Amino acid sequence: MATMQDKLVDLTAVLPLIRNNQTVALGGMTIYRRPVAFVRALLQHQPRPQNLTLLAFTAGLASDMLVGGGCINQVRTCYFGLESFGLAPMFTQAVENGRLTIIEESEASIACGLRAAVGQLGFIPSRAWQGTDLFKVRPDVKTVVDPYSGETLTAFPAIQVDVAIIHVLKADRFGNAILGGNPTIDESLTHVADTVILTAEEVVEKLEGPVELSGLPVTAVCHIPNGARPTSCYPAYPLDGEEILRYIDACHSGEFEDYVNYSIT
Amino acid sequence: MYSIDELICVCISRQIEDGELVAQGMATPLVAAGYLLAKLTHAPNLTFISAIGQTFCQKWAPLGLTTVENLWLKNGLFAIDFITGTCDFLPRYQPKEFFRPGQVDSFGNFNNVFIGGSHEQPRLRLPGSAGIPDVTVYEENVCLYVPRHGRHTFVPQLDFRSGLGHDAQRTQGSGPRYLVSDLGQFDFGGENGRLRLTTYHPGISPKRIQAKTGFPLEIAPDLHETEPPTAKEIQLLRDKIDPLGIRTLETLRGAHRKTKLRQILTAEKTAK
Repeated sequence: MATMQDKLVDLTAVLPLIRNNQTVALGGMTIYRRPVAFVRALLQHQPRPQNLTLLAFTAGLASDMLVGGGCINQVRTCYFGLESFGLAPMFTQAVENGRLTIIEESEASIACGLRAAVGQLGFIPSRAWQGTDLFKVRPDVKTVVDPYSGETLTAFPAIQVDVAIIHVLKADRFGNAILGGNPTIDESLTHVADTVILTAEEVVEKLEGPVELSGLPVTAVCHIPNGARPTSCYPAYPLDGEEILRYIDACHSGEFEDYVNYSIT
Repeated sequence: MYSIDELICVCISRQIEDGELVAQGMATPLVAAGYLLAKLTHAPNLTFISAIGQTFCQKWAPLGLTTVENLWLKNGLFAIDFITGTCDFLPRYQPKEFFRPGQVDSFGNFNNVFIGGSHEQPRLRLPGSAGIPDVTVYEENVCLYVPRHGRHTFVPQLDFRSGLGHDAQRTQGSGPRYLVSDLGQFDFGGENGRLRLTTYHPGISPKRIQAKTGFPLEIAPDLHETEPPTAKEIQLLRDKIDPLGIRTLETLRGAHRKTKLRQILTAEKTAK
């Protein structure tokens, strides 16, 4: 077995890992533990990546910034919004202008798709979607007959991911990490993605375990304190509601670019 | 006196039975407050299943906006990931859940994806269907709530069906059992599972409810006025469950809502 590799690098070294036309997944959920500092750095890096497909179980602030920055042409998510703070402004605008393709998902289609990918299978069967209009907008999703009961089930296809970016509470140099108690889908993302980038509030020499993420599939670790702000990083800091409102106001005033380029939170 | 958000919370609370498992979605404080009211009155053995942390939780805390993770991550009995939650726990335990439809038809089919235009270019894009097209297909315990009853929500024809209602093609589960709005309470006991008015809220006439509904309403034979909140229920909501009034974020609109949001954030910051 190879010796453990030191994966700690500067943020500037990992930004070029995001390339045009890739499927990029963001860890965390809606406005909790999102890799906001990474996204901000990516938008300030030139040239910005183009034609990305965004995968997020639930998409929120960081995803909205990627859409606003013009990096995304396809979105795969089951929820895109800022919870009680309102609709995600740049996403909503882009969809209503017909500038974004939505690959409509639900919790089950993403959960089954990732479960299939982790298990190296083509699909996972589920009862979800039967009788709904989801099939009308997802003609690629097929059905399968349960060979034991004869029941028609939905065969959710495996979801492939090129790069996953996950913000964690604590990581070591080898990519072992602690999330802080809200697992979301992040462990599965590390198993599925070809490239896994962790941004960490705190980096230590060696985590002795138990850990929530194994460093084995991790490509790079970046030390970015406050890397989730204004989303939360439990228990280090709660979400910053005023800052989220400031973002929404900036977007509604046509000042998205000023917000991502100049403001440091 | 009480406000309409309080009456909706009380109606939700009265739909909860002791010992049940209840789930709540994102940004649904009316439902959270209703569940907590049940927990503090007739349903002390209620168990919550949360989106944050995907956990079972039997403890409770007042509603919070920026502090919501504390409740689930400090008091949750365990934490599983969303994939286990979605693929295993929801089908296995089938919690009761209240959903807020963007559009709902007379059979309780509903839409949280887009309104008007096309899927490719909608007039109004909604956040998305979350777990609705999954659980409404097999669950027995689906309930709906509509904080602002109107023809824009109660429509004869959905623009998109992401939640499955009462449909002859269904092989598992049931369409929604119950719906509460700011005008009245309903079941789906009409012909073939059609929406049926069971109670009208104090001061609201059944005629007005029909006028604000985009399809013919059936009327329950024992139609009566909604029982108003008790003094104890109101006191619990205001003093213990939701002193900051987070529940009103679902009934307020526009500038009023934004002002309230800022007030709540300031109050939470001061309390720290």
